[in-house]
Amino acid sequence: MATLYPLASLAQIENTPSKQDGIPDDLEEDLRAYGCKLIHQAGILLKQKQVAVAAAQVLFQRFWFVTSMKQFGVGDIGMGALYLASKLEECPIRMRDLINVYDLLLQRASHALVGKSVDMFQYHPMSYFGNTFYDMKDALVVAEMQILKRLGFNVHVVLPYGTLINYLRVLELTNREDVCTKAWGYLNDAHQTPVYALYQVPTIVCAAILLATRQLQIPLPSEPPACWWELFDADWEDVWSVGGSIMRLYRKRTEEEKNRVVGLVNKKDVRSWLEENAPQAGSDSTSAMSVT
Amino acid sequence: MSAVETVPGTSTPSRKRSKWDEDEGEDEQLTYVPQPKKRAKPKSIRPAPSASENVDSSRSASPSGSQSTGSTSRQKPTHSVYVPPRTHHPPIQASRSVYSYERLNQIEEGSYGVVYRARDKQTGDIVALKKLKLEEEKNGFPITALREIYALMSCRHENVVGIREVVVGDTLTQVFVVMDFIEHDLKTLLGTMPAPFLQSEIKTLMLQLLSAVRHCHQNWILHRDLKTSNLLMNNRGTIKVADFGLARRYGDPIGVGGLTQLVVTLWYRPPEILLGATTYSTAVDLWSIGCIFAELLLKEPLFQAQGELEMLSMIFKLLGPPTKNSWPDYSSLPLGKTISLPSPQPHQFRTKFPYLTSAGLDLLMSLLTYDPEMRITAEEALEHPYFTESPVPKHPDLFGSFPSAAAGEKRRKPFNSPTAPRGANLNFLNDSNLSP
Repeated sequence: MATLYPLASLAQIENTPSKQDGIPDDLEEDLRAYGCKLIHQAGILLKQKQVAVAAAQVLFQRFWFVTSMKQFGVGDIGMGALYLASKLEECPIRMRDLINVYDLLLQRASHALVGKSVDMFQYHPMSYFGNTFYDMKDALVVAEMQILKRLGFNVHVVLPYGTLINYLRVLELTNREDVCTKAWGYLNDAHQTPVYALYQVPTIVCAAILLATRQLQIPLPSEPPACWWELFDADWEDVWSVGGSIMRLYRKRTEEEKNRVVGLVNKKDVRSWLEENAPQAGSDSTSAMSVT
Repeated sequence: MSAVETVPGTSTPSRKRSKWDEDEGEDEQLTYVPQPKKRAKPKSIRPAPSASENVDSSRSASPSGSQSTGSTSRQKPTHSVYVPPRTHHPPIQASRSVYSYERLNQIEEGSYGVVYRARDKQTGDIVALKKLKLEEEKNGFPITALREIYALMSCRHENVVGIREVVVGDTLTQVFVVMDFIEHDLKTLLGTMPAPFLQSEIKTLMLQLLSAVRHCHQNWILHRDLKTSNLLMNNRGTIKVADFGLARRYGDPIGVGGLTQLVVTLWYRPPEILLGATTYSTAVDLWSIGCIFAELLLKEPLFQAQGELEMLSMIFKLLGPPTKNSWPDYSSLPLGKTISLPSPQPHQFRTKFPYLTSAGLDLLMSLLTYDPEMRITAEEALEHPYFTESPVPKHPDLFGSFPSAAAGEKRRKPFNSPTAPRGANLNFLNDSNLSP
């Protein structure tokens, strides 16, 4: 049997490094999701294979269980994760392409931040003699190395798609195209949440099937002793919790919340945000300290 | 991991086991018996399960509920072997520092970097530290090193050299791969051992090699550089496949995106790569195994060619030139039409290996087969009658041991011959040495 992929330990989950630095839970959650969206968008612009994009997102999520967002920005680490995962999945990409794409994405995001409409956006390529490229290249090399180092070079990722197909076959749902598409979509969206660093693949796949079948009102045996998820070695509490994590992605965010995330892509911004919001964060962390 | 127990010809595990081997065999259990994981560092210790909360312990380790909720009275279903308990997964753990090891001596230096022998300061285990060369890298972490680490981590097996961890130095360019230290490599051993391996020993070595390669192929890894200098051997008769520097993952269908032809050391390179194929597969490793088998029998490499053309002509000479029957796809290979074939002639296996049994010869010819489609697989080769006929494979524990060059040991002379009487010879030597 192949080596098992790593999952965050209980201590790592309860007290993430970002939390220890005073970053509130909901902000960390949103920054994780935003970093993964950037990876996804970059993957599409680079015409990169989905396996590499998904693997990058898993590595990205694992990284924040051993590192604080005060130390590294989600933009840089996302870029490093995509670069690394592309090598791991045997479809390497060029540094220059990746850097150009990230530069565009970040420019577009900050354009939207100041309240201008997307149609007005015009990309300004980085100057030929400027330092932008070399700065980003250095950041990329450091990010890739830091991911490897902080994950102990254990970059084994197991993707959920094959398992989904097997389970849908067992449940005789493959003839329902809507179920397959929806469940597949939930698996993709789940990559914006930390669940792939928390739960085993069968649990996550069960959650995707659960959400899809509930939404399409397809009944599956769910009364003890015959519960369909038990067939796939999943526990109800875990499946439910993964489902909750995925659904939280679709929660309505205020404009303020959205802008806050876009403005915190860099570690410098996170640091100055922490300074401004220090009193609140301080009280948060002390209360957390007294609980534990 | 369950394969470990069924592999033929594995030695009894040595008593001195490292902290990294502890979980072997546990995966075979169908039901979950909680055990405190020693592998985890103190930082991530999980609540130690006591016998009474047997059922709930794995749940409390799951992120959802640290406290038992209402429905926990329901019995937790037993896990199938395909989904081990969550607690069996390693935690996310950063690399340790290289200063956890004490450097002993340099073993060898290659293009990839330097290998040192070192001691783990905590456990006292002797390990091999491979320092990667990263200074001149323009494209971040080299993909070849990444493939090697990935392959070693996903191909853990009794007969694959064990990777313990990857440690880092003070700067980002210092990365060391920590592997089990193995005393010998098969090439040096074949060159220095006084007598060749016995048939029974060759069978054991071949079984071990084949089961390691089968394991790699099952995990979608091609080795692409099998040769005797990449096979390590310990003093307990066990060989370990090492140096996954050219290994890579492959998929089904094979060779999507193209594979490089710059693989496998020339003497062990299969004819399809010599003829420019870009969609080769697991069969390339089996050809190399055939060359290794022959080398074990001959005590010297089978094809000692200087260049690729000489290599091809040596293959043509031993196997007879390829025909429409023996290799239907020959003419569709990139270089298939540019090379003029010698006139047809029968193979020379029997004259080259006069003392091999017919079963042994059959295995050798099945490995050294032109058509990669027809070449025997590792799985099939393990079932070959050669391994069940007399003499049967020797138990690894019965292998002799040898002085290890890597550990700096020297072969002791078989006997100390008496020195010549001193007085008489001394004068003679002095006389001759003094004359200028």
